[in-house]
Amino acid sequence: MVNKDEIISKFKEAIIIGDEEAAVRLAKEAIAAGLDAYEMVTKYGGEAMEVINKQYEEKKIFVPEVLLAANALSAAVEILKPHMKVEKTSIPAKVVLGVVEGDIHDIGKNLVKIMLSSAGFEVIDLGRDVPLQKFIEVAKQEKADVVGMSALMSTTMPGMKKVIDMLKDAGIRNKVKVIVGGAPVTEEWALSIGADARPKDASAAVGITKQLVEKLRKERGDSW
Amino acid sequence: MGEMTPKKRALLCITGNKKKADRISCFDVLTTATVDQMNAVKAPFPDAHRDPELCFRLAAAAWEIIGLEGFKLPFDLCIEAEALGCKIHWGRIDRHPSVEAPVFNDLEEFKVPEKIIEMGRFPIKHGVEERLRREYGDYLPIANQVTGPFTVAGHIFGIERFLIWTKKKPREKIEEVLRLIADINIEDSKEALRSGADVICIADPSATSDIISPQFFKETLVPIYKYMVRKIGAPVVLHICGNTMAYLPYLPDTEIDAFSADAQVHIGFAKQVLGDRVAIVGNVPTISVLLLGNPQTVRKATIEAISQGVDVVMPSCGIPPRTPTENFKAMVEAARCWVYV
Ligand code: B12
Ligand SMILES: [Zn+2]
Repeated sequence: MVNKDEIISKFKEAIIIGDEEAAVRLAKEAIAAGLDAYEMVTKYGGEAMEVINKQYEEKKIFVPEVLLAANALSAAVEILKPHMKVEKTSIPAKVVLGVVEGDIHDIGKNLVKIMLSSAGFEVIDLGRDVPLQKFIEVAKQEKADVVGMSALMSTTMPGMKKVIDMLKDAGIRNKVKVIVGGAPVTEEWALSIGADARPKDASAAVGITKQLVEKLRKERGDSW
Repeated sequence: MGEMTPKKRALLCITGNKKKADRISCFDVLTTATVDQMNAVKAPFPDAHRDPELCFRLAAAAWEIIGLEGFKLPFDLCIEAEALGCKIHWGRIDRHPSVEAPVFNDLEEFKVPEKIIEMGRFPIKHGVEERLRREYGDYLPIANQVTGPFTVAGHIFGIERFLIWTKKKPREKIEEVLRLIADINIEDSKEALRSGADVICIADPSATSDIISPQFFKETLVPIYKYMVRKIGAPVVLHICGNTMAYLPYLPDTEIDAFSADAQVHIGFAKQVLGDRVAIVGNVPTISVLLLGNPQTVRKATIEAISQGVDVVMPSCGIPPRTPTENFKAMVEAARCWVYV
């Protein structure tokens, strides 16, 4: 009899130390042992990434270790995905995420993507140096719940305000929540341009985005 | 000793001998170009990166328009990656060039073409350095900037992939590649010194401790910088962006003359850690003060940097292109008023 708890704790450990092979092996063991694939990803994968993010915040580890952990988790997700029984109610919220036009700094954005997707969000990654119009187009097309923008330069920050104005002009500002981030983006500035929140880092982004989506669902329902 | 010139002053200050100078130097070894200067001398980005005449005019504007006490080339961090085969996005008047995509998929694929410093924009840079020396004589110093090995590795392999390799691949392989890039930097520096440059600035923004660990810095990067300093044989300034406080204790081992500290570094603290082993330059905040402040806040920040003990007054990082001239000039003027008694 395989010990399920042991698989789970080894699985988390493999992700935390960024051991891709072990994470894949344990994902397979988890399925064989009848563990729920969806829970493996969103709950235990998410918990492991929370540990990672905390260590990163405390400067116990640095970006390379975070990337390794993320790789291990995505490899495990590939194994687990075909076994996930997605129920209607658990359809994850959609986040359209990108680095605004003129800015190629995407390390922070990628961390946010990792954390949001490991927490169960469906992240549509527009990449970096994204033409502003693209945020609006994709948000509409995908009926997104959240638009997330990143900027690392004072010269590209104003692009965020433009996107928010464009969402208003397109008449869809109330259909989505807007989160913004990046080292130079302050909370005060973010609110002044009409964003809903400026989570200070990738782990804060998870909690805040969850709250915003709940609020959004109450305000606008599931319809777009 | 002869008459004090900006060049003599800069070289004294940058090597930690500011007490022997008449006053502190205000020489910027990071990017000096702003949109105001481009308009004033009719040499805008992106053309000024590739046209020798425009490049010369814009480099000279640092002194002619702002009064910075020296010249610095180039204006961007992409020369090495470009010569190694990366496609460059040239940016626009207020946007620096950037690398579009990596060119090598693995460490093994990496190869340095022969005579690389005769390729791409290296010859333009060295040519402009030569012309600056010719036209301005020995009065002002010239800094030649090289993009540091870690940042170039990020450009040519993709920064995230390279970061992962620092954990997964044998450390010797990583070091070997960084050393090959360092060799390009060394060759470039030697040619620059022959062309008239006096100071070499290694700008390695991606080596920030916002990204990599102090341990990696100490074990892998410090020996590389030291190798470079020894081979270059001229005053070397190292610039790393962001919060580098955790690196300070290891800096003397690099044997650099000066460290250019970003705004997040507390100069008083850095001075206590480093004593007179490494000079500290820079530190006038680029964004909050030079770009977004006014002449008064600039003067205040400059005087603060000087009283904390900086050895050369400079912006804390590359100057944002939209920095107003009156702010940039206020920094120079405040530095010029500072006389040692
Ligand atoms: C690494 C780096 C680079 C790398 C980028 C590699 C890459 N693929 O990203 C390279 C070397 C290519 C580069 C190039 C340039 N850079 Co640069 N770079 C940096 C550096 C050192 C670190 C940035 C970083 O990755 N931090 C680590 C990550 C994890 O942190 P983060 O991005 O802040 O993200 C966290 C939070 O902010 C938040 N977050 C981020 N985004 C979002 C989004 C949402 C929705 C949410 C909720 C949260 C969130 O969560 C993240 C994780 O917790 C910074 C300085 C610094 N120390 O910050 C300069 C810096 C950003 N660069 C700067 C500059 C000027 C440039 C260049 C123009 C330089 C040049 N002359 O060529 C170029 C061109 C860039 C361009 N056109 O975009 C300046 C910007 C100044 C300004 N005007 O504002 C900085 C600030 C350096 C400085 N002190 O002046 N750079
Ligand atoms: Zn910098």
